Amino acid sequence: MSAFKIEVNDNGVAKLIFDLPGEKVNKFSKDVMIELGEKIAELKSNTSIKVLLVMSAKEGIFIAGADVGEIQEMLNKEGDQSQEARDLITRGVNTFTELENLPFPTVAVINGACMGGGLEMSLACTYRVVTDHKKTSLGLPEVMLGILPGWGGTQRLPKLIGLVNAMPLILTGKKIDAKKAFKLKIADAIIAAEFIDEKIAEFVDTILDDKKKKKILSKRNTTKGFMGATQNFLLEGNPLGKNVVFSKAREGVMKASKGHYPAPLAILDLLQDTYGMSLKDGLKRETEAFIKLVTTHKSVVKSLVHIFFTDDAVKKDIGVKMPDDYKVPAVNHSAVLGAGVMGGGIAWLFSYKDIPVRLKDVNWDGVSKGFEAAQDIYKVLQKKRKLKPTQVNMKMHKISGALDYSGFKSSDVVVEAIVENMGIKKTVLQELEGEVSNDALICSNTSALSISEMQSVMKHPERFIGMHFFNPVNRMPLVEVIRGEKTSDESVAKLVSLVKKLGKTPIVVGDCAGFLVNRILIPSMNEGMYLLEEGCDLEEIDKTIYKFGMPMGPFTLADEVGLDVGYKVAKLLEEAYGDRMRVPEFLGKIVEGGLLGKKMGKGIYIHKGKSRTFNEGVQKFLPAKKSNSITKEEMVDRFVFTMVNEAARCLEEKVIEKPAYLDLAMIYGTGFPPFHGGLLKYADSVGVTNVVEKMNVLAQKYGKRFEPCELLKSLAKDNKSFYDL
Amino acid sequence: MAERIAIIDGVRTPFCKSTNPKVPGVLGEMQADDLGAHVVKELLAKTGFDANDLDEIIFGNVIQPPQSTNLTRILAVKAGVPERIPSYTVNRNCASGMESVTTGMNKILAGYADVILAGGCESMSNVPILFGKKMIDIFMGLGKAKSLSAKLDVISKFRPAFLAPVIPGLLDPLCSLQMGQTAELISKDFSISRLEQDEFAMMSQNRAEAARANGIFEDEIVPIPVGPKYTAVQTEDDGIRNGTDLKGLQKLRPCFDRLAGTVTPANCSQITDGAAGLIIMRESKAKAMGLTPIGYLTDYAYAGLAPDRMGLGPVYATSQILERTGKQLGDFDLIEINEAFAAQVIGCERAMASKEYCQKYLGRADAIGVVDRDKLNVNGGAISLGHPVGATGTRLIIHTLKELKRRKKQHGLVTLCIGGGQGTALTLEAE
Repeated sequence: MSAFKIEVNDNGVAKLIFDLPGEKVNKFSKDVMIELGEKIAELKSNTSIKVLLVMSAKEGIFIAGADVGEIQEMLNKEGDQSQEARDLITRGVNTFTELENLPFPTVAVINGACMGGGLEMSLACTYRVVTDHKKTSLGLPEVMLGILPGWGGTQRLPKLIGLVNAMPLILTGKKIDAKKAFKLKIADAIIAAEFIDEKIAEFVDTILDDKKKKKILSKRNTTKGFMGATQNFLLEGNPLGKNVVFSKAREGVMKASKGHYPAPLAILDLLQDTYGMSLKDGLKRETEAFIKLVTTHKSVVKSLVHIFFTDDAVKKDIGVKMPDDYKVPAVNHSAVLGAGVMGGGIAWLFSYKDIPVRLKDVNWDGVSKGFEAAQDIYKVLQKKRKLKPTQVNMKMHKISGALDYSGFKSSDVVVEAIVENMGIKKTVLQELEGEVSNDALICSNTSALSISEMQSVMKHPERFIGMHFFNPVNRMPLVEVIRGEKTSDESVAKLVSLVKKLGKTPIVVGDCAGFLVNRILIPSMNEGMYLLEEGCDLEEIDKTIYKFGMPMGPFTLADEVGLDVGYKVAKLLEEAYGDRMRVPEFLGKIVEGGLLGKKMGKGIYIHKGKSRTFNEGVQKFLPAKKSNSITKEEMVDRFVFTMVNEAARCLEEKVIEKPAYLDLAMIYGTGFPPFHGGLLKYADSVGVTNVVEKMNVLAQKYGKRFEPCELLKSLAKDNKSFYDL
Repeated sequence: MAERIAIIDGVRTPFCKSTNPKVPGVLGEMQADDLGAHVVKELLAKTGFDANDLDEIIFGNVIQPPQSTNLTRILAVKAGVPERIPSYTVNRNCASGMESVTTGMNKILAGYADVILAGGCESMSNVPILFGKKMIDIFMGLGKAKSLSAKLDVISKFRPAFLAPVIPGLLDPLCSLQMGQTAELISKDFSISRLEQDEFAMMSQNRAEAARANGIFEDEIVPIPVGPKYTAVQTEDDGIRNGTDLKGLQKLRPCFDRLAGTVTPANCSQITDGAAGLIIMRESKAKAMGLTPIGYLTDYAYAGLAPDRMGLGPVYATSQILERTGKQLGDFDLIEINEAFAAQVIGCERAMASKEYCQKYLGRADAIGVVDRDKLNVNGGAISLGHPVGATGTRLIIHTLKELKRRKKQHGLVTLCIGGGQGTALTLEAE
């Protein structure tokens, strides 16, 4: 079956229409690229063609890019893949060069998403026209998969729009919309999607007219005008300016990647290396850089590609089996109980998605805190120009406050975010059931209390479910969906769908103390504190864990979360799981001493603006430093293997079934380093046998908590890894 | 007589003093439509009424915000009322918040609607200040001028005096008087002394103070999260001065006629931000829906008079409505005469009690009657609570019905004077 169709009309206007059979999107696999090469050869020999339009037949999609599945397949093979990578790259580079060299002008008609290889193909066309379709967006997201745009993207884009404009697009992988693409002069024209045929015909007339064509081409010149010329001279036109540009960019990349991600650095090197070089030579260097990146840093690329596919799978997963004709009812009204930090954040999220939300608390001061929390998030969005003041006003109007249950009758979903106390929660939930309609979904945002136990007091327990957001709600992508004993399948389906609608990633987990993420994370936080008890230096522990790739060390994180909040949850887990989750005594003393962390400016650290320094005032609560023989490597092992052991138990107990989902939850919920591909991926890469061996040694030294659980032992015995499960 | 119109429930925002040069108003950063939207949202939440059942939203507003023409449409959509439900704005000056309700009544009785959400809102903190015609001509000229010399030509015509602002609504062009000056005329017509006015103001303040202390306003106020920063929720009116006494009031200087006047900032209504709203339908419809209304609107009248005596409007409207309904003044258990000015309320009392006045100006055989102060403005009025011009009319209806219920009484008369020389009177019933 053919992916491309050629149409040539009487006026010599040819169309090359990309329509990948059996797929919703167009992407470049090996076969598709080969076919494209053949089609270009066919076009080349057709002398009646005056102009070629490259188009897509897919709705909302121009070209999504390379077939990432093929790349994953390649990476999963054992041995050296440099030849295969070279073939992959040269095939694309050569095909696009052929496209560029066609004897007539070519126009990429971008009406929908145009990503990665799709944009690289468009850059090889003579002209690009974008439509204002709401799905039209352009970008080079390769860097997010740990690779670089290897089909000419790093060469053609800077040549077209200048280094300063091109660099952020290639380095961050961010998408831009049609307007921005036109402003940056990636696109030569922007047209209304509804009038695509007429407008393209006009554009064709323009480029076939020499004088008008010149006008279009002259607009591309980024050094035009006073500002353009000055900027060009200062930043790119002289060696000094160029160095400033690159060193600034390097600084930014190091800050963002902490040196864990090789791709942005490789891209920077390549850009610096090839700046001002001919296209032909530049393309050669680009190919070499690509091959070097995927061969020397294969594990990072594999990890990132793996996460990409897991994320995609979760997006398509509805969480439970439902009849094919089941349709999730719409959520038109919502309510939140408790206007604290979490309640305020959740109310913000509903309002941001234009779902009216009733925010109830016990007094007006409480309610106003929730409103303020929401407004604070909007303030930032407005400052960043993501929203206009009028839009913020409209969205804030979606939130309304109450002390009673007025307005709850119309709610399709209610999220409880009150104080973490089982008795109070039970009372409130019983009260709530009398105030809402019988088919309203009731969710609890508890971070550790048992959903099943809360259910036990409810009249309609089947519509009750855990909806665990992470703090801060606006930034954390994960929501744990917790099934209680009596939660119905329909409630799971409803909540999974709602979480997606809210733009978050739902992971369905079983009901146990701490659920999945906190249950795995908290013992490792405890472990960090045991290290302190054993005499290690606090800041060194934090730095070591940070260097491993966690977004912050355990003490910084504790401050961030709030020591009182963290302590409370940790205590709950200690109660549930016993000795292996013992909470260090000194933590309780710090909380009693009134040091609560960042929210009050003082905890283990003193926080001033963005800087933090060790809080000497906390020293008196801490165990004394003493010499020991604990190496940094052991610190990391203890920190990570504690998590691995608990994660294995979660799999054992079927809190979650898929290792890949567990890994995604830890990445989205705790920031576990994506370059490791996730917690269990990391254990697999160390080797489960090695992990078990090391844990046995640790168990002898530090006690039972390091004894590998049954699942780990059986995996090691069979010489299997987690991902074989 | 036509069927009674049921008022299902009504709420209002706290009434808060507007921004003045010394102090920013609590609600001063919120626009009139934001206040109105809040009232609509809370009214729907409180009653549990499905917005889909509404046929129309009608709000009164006097000084229309320039960024929100037909502000009712804007406040309705902001409040989450479905977009398919239409809405419009009415303006009858100080009676706008009543006009919205009586217009709604007309629509319902004429069969054009079943359920209407009516109300009023005003942000007097956000009165737009306009440029005069000459300045506007310069702006327009600059826009049209193509060349530099043409632009310079336009600019050369500019004079600093062109910058003098035009503030809407201060002066009545019909009589070339400010509203306060019309009150001064009434004080002279009926020789109403400064002392009498101050005593009336004190009564208004003291009654409102007691009512607030007894939680009476909590029945009608919906607390409002204060935008745009949302650091607080305003729960009560802030114009009431606890412990107001004559001594304090008498210290103030007249503000409209500085030399010989009697009207001071304390014995006239306050400049205030606020909104109020209620839901109306036929009595039979309310019964069919199983609703318990807070009361009923039975009839209304609007009347015109000399613009320079606009404060006496209630006298004219009351005369009309008594004629229409066949009632006597004494039949009413509660009476509201909106306190635009103490002088003007007292003037209404005198005119209604005067056989001579009623004969001469109203063509009546006899006086309307004596207003019993124990029934008049029993919980204070615009002097103590403030007068957000678009919203006051709706507040008076809501408050009177709820007060009738509290007192277990039946009949209420609510009147209001209107700038430009009009008056209005509504008859209400509790059961």
